[in-house]
Amino acid sequence: MIKKILTIKNELGLHARASNKLSTEAAKFKSKIEIIFHDQTVDCKNMMDILLLSIGIHDSFTIKISGTDEKKALESIEKLINNLFGEGK
Amino acid sequence: MLIVSGIPVSSGVAIGRAYILAHALNEVEPYNISKRNISNEIKRFNQAIKQLKGELLGLKKELKKNKMSEYGSFIDVQLAIINDPKISKNPLDLIKKSKQNAEWALKVQMEEIINKFNSIENSYIRERKNDIYQVCETLIKYLIGHESKQLSNDKNRIIVAHDISPADALKFKNSNNIAFVTDIGGTTSHTAILAKSINIPSVVGTQNAKNLISNGDNLIVDGDHGCVIINPTDEVINEYKLKQNIYELESKKLLSLQKITSKTIDKVSVNLYVNIEDTNNIDPVMKNNTKGVGLFRTEFIFMDKHRMLDENEQFTIYRNLTKALPNKTITIRTLDSGGDKVIEHMPNTNQNPALGLRAIRFCLAEPDVFITQIKALLRASHYGDIRILIPMLSSDNELRQVKMLIERAKDILTSERKKFNSKTLIGGMIEVPAAAIDAESFASQLDFLSIGTNDLIQYTLAVDRTDDAVSHLYDSSHPALLKLIKVVIDAGTKAGIEVSLCGEMAGDPKLTKLLIGLGLTNFSMHPSSLLKVKKVILESQFSKLKSKAKKILNTHDKIEIENLINNLNN
Repeated sequence: MIKKILTIKNELGLHARASNKLSTEAAKFKSKIEIIFHDQTVDCKNMMDILLLSIGIHDSFTIKISGTDEKKALESIEKLINNLFGEGK
Repeated sequence: MLIVSGIPVSSGVAIGRAYILAHALNEVEPYNISKRNISNEIKRFNQAIKQLKGELLGLKKELKKNKMSEYGSFIDVQLAIINDPKISKNPLDLIKKSKQNAEWALKVQMEEIINKFNSIENSYIRERKNDIYQVCETLIKYLIGHESKQLSNDKNRIIVAHDISPADALKFKNSNNIAFVTDIGGTTSHTAILAKSINIPSVVGTQNAKNLISNGDNLIVDGDHGCVIINPTDEVINEYKLKQNIYELESKKLLSLQKITSKTIDKVSVNLYVNIEDTNNIDPVMKNNTKGVGLFRTEFIFMDKHRMLDENEQFTIYRNLTKALPNKTITIRTLDSGGDKVIEHMPNTNQNPALGLRAIRFCLAEPDVFITQIKALLRASHYGDIRILIPMLSSDNELRQVKMLIERAKDILTSERKKFNSKTLIGGMIEVPAAAIDAESFASQLDFLSIGTNDLIQYTLAVDRTDDAVSHLYDSSHPALLKLIKVVIDAGTKAGIEVSLCGEMAGDPKLTKLLIGLGLTNFSMHPSSLLKVKKVILESQFSKLKSKAKKILNTHDKIEIENLINNLNN
């Protein structure tokens, strides 16, 4: 199991399209992937759960991944966040 | 016969029969499913999910073909919602557990999700619940399965709905619909975009048309005046049929005027400009031989994004306009928020917003917002003929502050070594009576003036025209208003600067001759009015109109003024 604190950098935060990209990416992996934010834990593979957390720019959350492909999963999720979900800002 | 009014979003007249888009969600009732039928119920649900996914993907392709990509993002979000197990899987568990029908399970699940969304503070995310609602509504329609029967090949169908979802849009695009009427929405709603793109008359924001209209009712939709007539008498139908014929004939005739330069019979040039709200709708500027854009309302680009845009984002939008409109003047009004237009990130403070912190007042209170926009505009004007228009000026002091901030923006740009045009023309909107009365002072300090009659009428007559109780007092030929307009035009002439008029009056062909008579030679209007107004200009004789307008200025009786205006037009 790995845990890491990640910070959202894109301007709009985890709005509908970004949440969709994140859950789609997470769903590519076998590992169980969870987001922990303000005492709430949700499945990172569910778009609406992520959206409902209402995570904005500069907010930090913990990502918890456990499974055989956990390292790869973390890597690609971090990449997505650092690339600002392809939104360019 | 009953008349419902709303917001006209796509012009023309349609006469047909009402087809009500039912709220399938309201019809859902729970019923028990026997154990052996549960697998069948699950199959039904999965089938509906598959069907909607297919339709949305098809719609997305279609939109790409038709270059309506702004619709595309609505669809991505809806696809994501369907793919979420909360919608695609949880109802299945509910069907198994409660042994109840698929529609009911979906509705229970939807209400739970929508409750969660309602408790979110971020309004942008909270509004996503409308997408969830639309997705579930469509799924339930498929599940109930009654809709496709009614949507047969009935001709002359007028769609009446609470709102139209992107999924519905695909069907409507290819079938026999001649008009749309919706309860909610404004000029930038889904329905408005759709109606304009397929060019059928539409009225939105009627609030309760759906309750007042029954399936099969005879309807007339007047997309120019924003009214819907329910079960009209034969006389009214005949009247509108005539209108329809004339409309078609006239629009054909008017098209022949596109290339002609607008001049009166006695060779006075009258410049036509276009009012635009977004950068997608600029074809009319080039097609109709206009001088350019007389009013670009920038608040809408902010409202679209639900936030303030930074300097580079704005610069790109303005610069792209100069590319799209070569050799045209582009008048860009700085942020005019507050009043009826509120951007979500801005504070919406008081009960009387029209008299509150709006437009330039807001910008002076938030100089960072203003300077950012001015910097973007100054930079873009390096690439084309951009002019800056300041809304809602009411005093000399405000004008001085504005000029100071513009100078500051120039200093910052210089120190940042960014290219900009230091001679960009700065103009003022005259829409507060104080500014009109004192127009000479503004004219002597600005490069051009633009009369915003919508607000000028509201403030001069103290009438909110959206308030049904007093809207009859809203009068664009009130003698006090005409006098104010004259004062502003004369102030411009004296100072040797251009004065244009960009309110709705500019696009009303009944008032064109009067305004020319008052000395107005620059009109800026909604593109749909351009050719109608141009036609009147071509038939005008300035020398004659001048004396007639003078007479109207000295008349006070409303009916007499109306008669004189009619006389002017005949």
